[in-house]
Amino acid sequence: MKSTLDRRTFVKLTASASGALIAGVYLQSCGSEMVPATIHEFSPLIKIDTDGWVTLIAKNPEIGQGIKTALPMIMAEELGADWDKVKVVQGDFDEAYEEQWAGGSYAIVLNWDLMRTAAAKVRHVLLQAASKKMSKKVSELSTIKGKVLHSKSGEALPFETLLLEASKLPLPETVEFKPTDSFEIVGKNTPQVDLGQLVNGETKFSIDVKLPGMVYATVLKNPVFEGGVGEYDDTEARMVNGVIDIVELDNTAYGGRLLGPNSPNFVNGIAVLANSTWSAFKGAGKLDVVWDTSGSRKENTDGIFERFNLQLTSTAIERKDGDIHRARKTEASNFEAVYQVPFLAHIPMEPMNCTVDFRADLCEVWAPTQNPKALQEGLIKLFGLKPEQIKIHLPRVGGAFGRRYYVDYAMDTAILSKKIGKPVKLTWTREEDIQHDWYRPASIQKMVASLDESGMVTGWQHILANASRKTCLGREGRPAGTEIDEYEFPAGFVPDLQFEYGHVMSDVPLGQWRAVGLSATVFAIHSFLSELAILNKMDPIDYFLKFLGPARMVPVVGDDEFDAGRLIEVVQKVRHNSNWDIPLPKGKGRGFAATKLSGSFVAEVVTVSVDENENVTILRVDAVVDCGIVVNLSGAKAQVEGGILEGLSAALYGEVTVKNGAAEQSNFHDYRWIRMDEAPEIHVEFIANNLPPRGLGEPPLPPAAPALANAIFAASGKRIRKLPILSTK
Amino acid sequence: MPSYTLTINATKRTVSADSDTPLLWILRDNLGLTGTKYGCGKGICGTCTVHYNGNAVRSCALPITSVLEGNIVTIEGLSEKENHSVQQAWMELDVPQCGYCQSGQIMAAVDLLSKNENPTDKDINAAMQGMLCRCGTYSRIRKAIHLAANKRNK
Repeated sequence: MKSTLDRRTFVKLTASASGALIAGVYLQSCGSEMVPATIHEFSPLIKIDTDGWVTLIAKNPEIGQGIKTALPMIMAEELGADWDKVKVVQGDFDEAYEEQWAGGSYAIVLNWDLMRTAAAKVRHVLLQAASKKMSKKVSELSTIKGKVLHSKSGEALPFETLLLEASKLPLPETVEFKPTDSFEIVGKNTPQVDLGQLVNGETKFSIDVKLPGMVYATVLKNPVFEGGVGEYDDTEARMVNGVIDIVELDNTAYGGRLLGPNSPNFVNGIAVLANSTWSAFKGAGKLDVVWDTSGSRKENTDGIFERFNLQLTSTAIERKDGDIHRARKTEASNFEAVYQVPFLAHIPMEPMNCTVDFRADLCEVWAPTQNPKALQEGLIKLFGLKPEQIKIHLPRVGGAFGRRYYVDYAMDTAILSKKIGKPVKLTWTREEDIQHDWYRPASIQKMVASLDESGMVTGWQHILANASRKTCLGREGRPAGTEIDEYEFPAGFVPDLQFEYGHVMSDVPLGQWRAVGLSATVFAIHSFLSELAILNKMDPIDYFLKFLGPARMVPVVGDDEFDAGRLIEVVQKVRHNSNWDIPLPKGKGRGFAATKLSGSFVAEVVTVSVDENENVTILRVDAVVDCGIVVNLSGAKAQVEGGILEGLSAALYGEVTVKNGAAEQSNFHDYRWIRMDEAPEIHVEFIANNLPPRGLGEPPLPPAAPALANAIFAASGKRIRKLPILSTK
Repeated sequence: MPSYTLTINATKRTVSADSDTPLLWILRDNLGLTGTKYGCGKGICGTCTVHYNGNAVRSCALPITSVLEGNIVTIEGLSEKENHSVQQAWMELDVPQCGYCQSGQIMAAVDLLSKNENPTDKDINAAMQGMLCRCGTYSRIRKAIHLAANKRNK
C-alpha cells in the first residue's frame, strides 16, 4: 500500500527556555526543570518525542461527530501507543492528508486503512530498531502501550529509547495490520480528546477567533432567494457607534454561481463592518433596503408542492426491474399511498461565521467547515489565488449537519477582508442562518405496491417528485442526479420494481442534510411497509422479516450487494430489546423502521403514548446498529443518540415554509426542535463483529421518523403521511 | 462611548460600550471570555447562559446597564480547573458532541443544583427545557445532572 503520507523529517529543537508552544510542538517537563523534548516526525501525522509522548494529527474537521478522537485512536491502536501518552493536535487543511472532509458518514470508512497504514509504517521502524537493540527477531516483537515488547522474555523498550535508531530507517512501502482481535484502544469507551476544554469554556471555535486589528462584520441578505440588493439607504446604519463601513456584496461580481451554472445563487446582500459584533448587528438593523426581487420566482410552499404533485405523472424512470404492470394485472390487490416531507434547515448551534486575513502574500482562513477543499477551490475561483497562497485552519465546529458543506459564508468573508485590507470576522445572525440555508429538499413520494394472495409484495413502485439538490451539478432544467437512487431499498428484494423521479425547478437553495436523500425516502418506504403489514393484519416486524426473506446476499446494482442477514439480525435484536412482543395498554404504541446507509445497518423501535387530545409523548427509543468494528464506543453511541433525536425533532417540528420566495422561519421560536423535556431515553446496542468499520453519522437518522409515525398509528390509529407531525402551517 | 465597571468571575472589569450592548458581546468581544456563546440573540436557546447574582440568565438579552450591580459568573469562572462537580460529571459521561451549547448547559445545570440538590427527571426537564442542544445530548445531560447531584450529596 502506498501512501503520500511518507514525508519524514527529523526535527531537533534548539533549547528554548520559554516552555511554550514552539511551532505547534509541545514541551514536556522532565524533573523539575523544563527541558525541550526532541521530537521525531515520522510522518505528517505521527510524531514521537524523547519523553515518550506521541503526537497524532487529527486531520479531519471536527464537527461534533467525534472524529478528532476516533482517527487518532485508530493510529494509536496500530502504533501500539499508550493512549494516556498521546497528544492530539488538530491539523490545518493540507492536501497531503487526503480525504480531509466531513460528509456522507465517510470519514471512518475512507480513513480506516489510511490511518492504520500510516501508523503501521512507524511501528515497523520501531520494531526494526528494537530488534537490533534487543537482539531479538522482529517476528517475536510487538508494540503495546508505548513500548516494544518481547513477550517471550518479557523484555520491553519504551518508544522513546528507539527514536534515534528508528528515525534513520526507511519507512516500508507495504505494511501488515495488527489482527483486529488484538485491539486495545479501538472499540473502547474513550472520552473525547477535548473534553476538559469543552467543559471549562477554553475551546476556541471559529466564532471565537480574534486577530490583531480584526474588524467585525455581519451581513444582511435579501430574504428572497435569487434576489438582488436593489436600493438602500445606509445613512442611519453608518451613524451607529462603532460602524466602520458598509459594503455591498454582489456575488455576480465574483463569478456568482460558485457551485455550478444551475445552482441557486449565493444570495446578495449588504455587509456591515464595525469594531464589535454588536455594532455590526445594530448597523445591519438600521439599513433601509428595498430589495430587488425581480429575479425571483416568488414561490410559495403550497405552489411548490402543487408542482411536485403534478410532476408525479411526468417522470423519468430511474430503475426498472421486471414489469410492475404485469404484477398489477395479475395480483390480487394494489395499494398506494402518498407521503410528503418538508424543506428542513440545519440550524447548527454555532451560526455561520468565518475569519479571513487576506494579505498580499497569503489568504489565511479560520472556518467552521466540513469541506476545506471546496473552500480552497472557491477562493481560487473568486480571486485567482494559487493553492500555496491559501492557508485554511480548521477550528472545532459547533455543529454542521451538512450545512457547512457549502462555503458561501467564507466567500463573503474573504471578499470583505480583501476589500478593506484587514482581517475580518463575519458572523451571521441566527436569522440569516435560517433564512439563507441550503435546505433539505422537500418532496412528495407516491408508493404503489402489488400484493399476492398472502399479502406479500410482488410489485413495488416508488415515485419521487421534487426540486433536487443535485440541480447545481447539472445543466439548465435538469439535475445531474435525482433524489431517488437506483440502489434505494428495496431494490433487489422485489421482482417487479420501478423507481421514478419527477424534477421541478425552484429558487429554494437546496443541499445536503444529515442522511441526505434517505432522510426523506426511508420515511415513505417504512411508513408504507408498516401500512402494508397492517392492511394484511400482520405484525409490522413479522411482515418486514417475511418481506426480506432469508439471510443472503442480495444483488442491488453492479457489484453492490445487500447483506440481508445483517439487517435481519439488527431487526431481531431490536425486537427483543424493545419488548416489541409484549402488548402495551391503550394509548401507547410501538413503531418500527430500519435502514442500511453508508454500509451500516440500523433498526429502531420508537415507543409513544398519544392522549385523547392527540398529544404525542415519545417514551423510549431502542436502536440496534451493525456498523462493523466500533472505533470509539462513547462517540459511536453519541452519534446514534444524536442521529435519532435529529430524526425525531425533524419529524415532529422541522419545517421551513416559503412565502413570496423567502423562508418564513427566522429563529428558534418558529423553527422548533426537540428540547430536554421531550427527549426520550435512547437504548443503543451495537452488533459485535470484526467487519471493517462503516459510517455512523447518518445511518441512525432515517428510521426515526417512520418508526415514530408507525408508533403513533399503533397508539392512536392515526396515520401520518405528511411531515412534520406537529406542523404549525 | 460610556465606560462601565462590572464584576465578572470575582474581578472588576471596566469596559467602554454603548448602553444597550448585551452582556454576551461585552464578554466575548470586549473581554475575550469566549466560553459564553452566541446562539440566537433572542434568549430562546440558552447557549449564552451565565450567572448573575447566582441565577442563570441569558446574556444575549441583558444590556450591560442591567448587570452593573451584582456578580457575574461565566463558564471560565465556574472552577479553577474544571473541577466543579457538574463539570466532572459532564466529563465522566462524555456529554458534549459539538460542544458549542455546553457552557450554557453547564451553567443552567449548576443553577438548578444550587436550588434543588436532588432533582428528579421531571425537575431537570422543567429547568433545562429552555436550553437547546442541536446535537441531541439531552439524555447524557440528564444523567450528568443526576451524577453531579450524587457527587455533591456524598
